[in-house]
Amino acid sequence: MTFMKNIINVVNLSKSYSAGIKALDDISLDVGKGEVLVVMGPSGSGKSTLIRTFNGLESFDTGYLEILGIRLDPNGDEKNIREIRKRVGMVFQQFNLFPHLSILENITLAPIKVQKRQKIEAQEHALSLLSNMGILSHANKYPSQLSGGEQQRVAIARSLALKPDLLLFDEPTSALDPERVNEVLDAMRDLAKKGMAMVVVTHEVGFAKEVADRVLFMDAGRVIEISKPNIFFQNAKEERSRRFLNQIIK
Amino acid sequence: MDYMKFFSKKGDVRIHFNIYDIILNFLILSIATFSSVKIIVWSFFEANWSVVSKNLALFTFGSYPYHDRWRPSIWIIYLLILCFFTIFNKETKKKRRPLVFAWGLFVPTGLFLVCGGLGKYPIPISYLGGLSLTIMLTSCSLLFSFPFGIFLALCRQSELFLVRNISKLYIDFMRSFPLITVLFFGQLLIPLFLPNGVEVNRVARAVFAFTIFLSAYIAEDFRCGLQSIPVSQIEAGKVLGFNDFQITSLIVLPQAFTIALPALTNQVIGLFQNTSLMSILGLAELLGISRSLLANPEFIGSYLEVYIWLGLIYWLFCTIIAMLGRYFEYQLDYDGNNR
Amino acid sequence: MRISKGIFVQITLAISLFLLIFILFNNLYVNLINKQIGFTFNWLLRPAGFALSESSLNYSPSNSYAWALFVGWINSLKIILSSLIFSTLLGIIVGLFSKSKNKLLRKFSSIYVGLIRQIPLLVQLMFWYFVVFLGFNNSNNDHYSHFFSVSNKGINILNLNLTTEFSALLFGLSVFTGAYIAEVIRGGINSVPSGQWEAFKSVGLSEIQGVFYIIIPQSLPAIIPGLTSQYLNLAKNSTLAIAVGYADIYAISDTVINQTGRAIEGFLILLLSFLFLNLIITYAMEFLNRFVIANQNRRIR
Repeated sequence: MTFMKNIINVVNLSKSYSAGIKALDDISLDVGKGEVLVVMGPSGSGKSTLIRTFNGLESFDTGYLEILGIRLDPNGDEKNIREIRKRVGMVFQQFNLFPHLSILENITLAPIKVQKRQKIEAQEHALSLLSNMGILSHANKYPSQLSGGEQQRVAIARSLALKPDLLLFDEPTSALDPERVNEVLDAMRDLAKKGMAMVVVTHEVGFAKEVADRVLFMDAGRVIEISKPNIFFQNAKEERSRRFLNQIIK
Repeated sequence: MDYMKFFSKKGDVRIHFNIYDIILNFLILSIATFSSVKIIVWSFFEANWSVVSKNLALFTFGSYPYHDRWRPSIWIIYLLILCFFTIFNKETKKKRRPLVFAWGLFVPTGLFLVCGGLGKYPIPISYLGGLSLTIMLTSCSLLFSFPFGIFLALCRQSELFLVRNISKLYIDFMRSFPLITVLFFGQLLIPLFLPNGVEVNRVARAVFAFTIFLSAYIAEDFRCGLQSIPVSQIEAGKVLGFNDFQITSLIVLPQAFTIALPALTNQVIGLFQNTSLMSILGLAELLGISRSLLANPEFIGSYLEVYIWLGLIYWLFCTIIAMLGRYFEYQLDYDGNNR
Repeated sequence: MRISKGIFVQITLAISLFLLIFILFNNLYVNLINKQIGFTFNWLLRPAGFALSESSLNYSPSNSYAWALFVGWINSLKIILSSLIFSTLLGIIVGLFSKSKNKLLRKFSSIYVGLIRQIPLLVQLMFWYFVVFLGFNNSNNDHYSHFFSVSNKGINILNLNLTTEFSALLFGLSVFTGAYIAEVIRGGINSVPSGQWEAFKSVGLSEIQGVFYIIIPQSLPAIIPGLTSQYLNLAKNSTLAIAVGYADIYAISDTVINQTGRAIEGFLILLLSFLFLNLIITYAMEFLNRFVIANQNRRIR
């Protein structure tokens, strides 16, 4: 049984919408401890849907998942989903910070209310995370006062505050101004160096080449190939992957 | 922007004479001057303000026992001080806590003072009248209709068929009838629905009627706020491991409240004004006491003085409520328009 | 099998609501028996016995209660429709004032709207009735009274005589509702993108032409829902007629209930007649809305 070593096991996962369109088509994959998996593919290929099943934001029809050893079946029960969510962080494309709370409150709310940690301890932890992200001075501001890149780093800090074992990134840089992309990618590189397991949906080729342990390429809800980045970007196995790469690297 | 500027060359003198504008301004100004002179002359030389000056106590307390008038007085002063400190408080969140606490204690304090706590004998609330009764009706009705209205709004958004539709039915039903019919129900029909021997006083019945009416409107305002919160906020809450109750109370409701705040302020102003309807149904609140005063032979014919006086009081209190609303909007404005 | 939480909540809710209603109506039943009132509608056919200050239909005290209530309903309709017309005109004018280039007009509209909205309608109605209309002199011998006269007997226009109560109510409701409609109009005009103003200026339309041909047609979809709710409010507010002694449906129901003691039946009739009024307004506005939308779609095509 290799299952116990992996923190994600996906077995024959399928999901289709009512119109018969397959969002996920018989997907199987696994992610090991400390591994960084980059998910690429054209829009509408099901990348976001796939990683949103990992923490129960998206349901599926057949197959099953094992996240951190917790099994999720179709119509998986709420208790398991909540158990997974407590240990898996997620960063969204649109940041999704809580606009009515200050930066510090955004980060400490879940540790205090969900993990029942002491307020002072949670705040100290939050401040150290913010200083790692280089945005300590914004702690008492509100999300609307920050730039997109700063907001996204707050969002990363917010998910780290729960000390997760796995982080999911859903196109974290797609909503940012081009000159703001690197500050977020740098923060993610740091995390990867510290051994955080991450699944990242992104179009950033440079980031994928440098940080990814493996690259997963999807199209029309199917896994086309999973390769090491040096193989994927220089000499992809599949014709479909090469066509995609030709389009995004001009 | 002035488009004349766009067409004129640099350095041109821009005097924008328009004969209609000048005539119009002249007309408006002369009408305004004429009527203000008339009003000033009337109010200083012709009006007989004795109907107001002789009855200040009646306007404030109604027929409340003479020796106990200090009780509602303290309460009203408490209210005015609270309003003052709230409106002129520019402090940050932390220093707001005692203020919130003081507002929370406002209604209990009022009931305790007015109904005869501290003293040896209880005073029936039906003795209360005038402005004190208006404030009592408003504050008690608000205290009950806000929680009930929020509850209804949440039920209205529920995934459960029965819960959602019963609250929709209630809200739509209440909103389709005039307030006076609901108040009429409260005064004349509620006793028929109570078991034999149980009696509820008229003020409490009025508060009940105002509550069941207003909460439907508050629910509708809250629903607009709830609907404008993106699903992604709820997802972000789920991802952080919050349960449904925490997502509602920590993430959804505070934001919905901020969005609904201007509409809610208008509801509060509307309620304060609508307490005057109880004068038709026989409560001696501010308008009711004025009507009985005008029926008194001593003051007959002083209609204009009394209605101007009433208008001033209502205007003053409504303006205070509007300022309170704007203060909360400023405090809760996290989008940074005012920061 | 385990019952899901949702089903359990709904069943509990249904049972407790049912119990509550059952208890309330059981109390009502017991009370009606104890007081020997009962529940019938045959009193409706008995003569009403009270006179009405105002009626557009033939009515005398010997007519039945049912007829009196119907007359009241017609009276309600009459005051609602006439204030609806006047308040709309007033609201449009003041709403346009608030977007005027003239500073004094803007000031006037903001003072008017601000003042009217901060004083209870009931106080305003009593002001119009007791101060304004009852304050006029009796001007029967006025020389222009054939065409138009205002006195403490009401308003005379040619052969049309409006009673004092009706006139006071008409002015009070129109001035009050006009302030709210002005806000609806202002909001509607604000909803049109400012580029449209620059556009009509650039093709050489005057301000007035531009407002009527370009701005108002585009703001209608935003205005009509607001207008509908203001009209419904007007209908509800018209029940305050009782304060100035105008015989509308609420005032007559009140009298009828006092005379007969038939509180429950009278209240039910009042509610039903109000539902019917609401339906009329809602359907009329729905029709108007569909007309506007259809018109716009035609233009887009």
